[in-house]
Amino acid sequence: MSVVVWLAAGALGGIGALLRFHLDAAVQGRASGELPVGTLAVNVVGSLALGVLTGAGVAGDALLLAGTAVIGSFTTFSTWMLETQRLAEDGDDRIALVNVALPLAAGLAAAAAGWALGAAL
Amino acid sequence: MSEAVLKLTVYFGESDRVGGRLVSDGLCDLFERREVRAALLLRGVEGFGAKQLLHTDRFLTLSEDLPLVALAVDDEAAIRSLAPDVERLVRGGLVTVERLRPAGGGELPEPAKLTVHLGRDDPYVAVVEHLRRAGLAGASVLLGVDGMAHGRRRRARFLSRNESVPLLIVSVGSAAAAARALEGLPDVVADAVATIERVEILKRDGARLAELPSAPAGTWQKLTVYAGEQARHRRRPLHVELVRRLRAAHASGATTLRGVWGFSGDHAPHGDRLLAVHRRVPVLTTVVDDPDRVRSAYRIVDELTDETGLVTVETVPTVLLPRA
Repeated sequence: MSVVVWLAAGALGGIGALLRFHLDAAVQGRASGELPVGTLAVNVVGSLALGVLTGAGVAGDALLLAGTAVIGSFTTFSTWMLETQRLAEDGDDRIALVNVALPLAAGLAAAAAGWALGAAL
Repeated sequence: MSEAVLKLTVYFGESDRVGGRLVSDGLCDLFERREVRAALLLRGVEGFGAKQLLHTDRFLTLSEDLPLVALAVDDEAAIRSLAPDVERLVRGGLVTVERLRPAGGGELPEPAKLTVHLGRDDPYVAVVEHLRRAGLAGASVLLGVDGMAHGRRRRARFLSRNESVPLLIVSVGSAAAAARALEGLPDVVADAVATIERVEILKRDGARLAELPSAPAGTWQKLTVYAGEQARHRRRPLHVELVRRLRAAHASGATTLRGVWGFSGDHAPHGDRLLAVHRRVPVLTTVVDDPDRVRSAYRIVDELTDETGLVTVETVPTVLLPRA
């Protein structure tokens, strides 16, 4: 990995994090339910984008920069887990389980759809 | 403290700054400089203000600017002298001044709200048990993140046990129970700052005990819902539903505080247990507004507390800074 790629990964990672913050806040700020839909939106969009990249055969440094750096810092596993734990604290196990199952199913579907889309390009 | 006692309350936001400094730091430094008798900075878990933006610890991206409540209790001259500095520090938010009765100040109001200011290193669990035995209807322990207790600045720090941060215990019940509680309090904890306020209990566990009173001209009202973290309205957490409905109705603000220990009615005192996922702590949701808006907020509160919760209303005589 060259120094240029190394530095670019850091910069693009920062951009991914900012994009996540803005999309999450925009979606969550409009929602009124109990589900953390901002995190759901971020993870589904990220899964779709990563599916498209890999489906289209992007590889090497390009995949590292677009996939690992941008999408890697855009999507978030830790926030998903933290918010699920908070839902369980409030006492509604059913909605906590929904917050595990729904993003999982939606993420898988988005990744598969993205892959098919990328392959067709 | 035999003369009149006042309580200054500031409702604001965690990331509010003035002149590059956090308002929360500015207020607590001010309380320390003036050696305020009891002061406390509380960090809410959910709420919104005049801008109608939701802040909540339930979603990570909405949790970086949580609602804060700063309280300062002292004699009338000390609190009045704080006002100009507070008005300089607080640019948005709400500042109120309420009149309290110092403990031992004669006849107690019926019903009464008893507030005890302590440090976390004081035996607050024993104080809650004492309040329960005295016959109060309920009590909640709220832990501060900064403030003054026993004449010293107590500030919570990251990676610290924070064993001496200030806390307050708020309790509501009959005048007789409050009198019994005050009488035995020095045997349970020395040097506590205890104050009494007039309060109206509107509802308890779904039963309507009083109608919402009309407020004297020029005053505001403070509506508070005390419930447990596990209280529900149609399967949804009551405090979450309350804030959601108040915000949907464009109320001008609401703040939810989560306690660490408490009791309600005849039930045993409760708090979180080790390794339990469901939290068992008390939760308070407060709305401070002019009487017209409190009346509309109470319609929502009344509907959601059809089964559970303790609902009280207090008169707020002085609003120094209405929401900007």
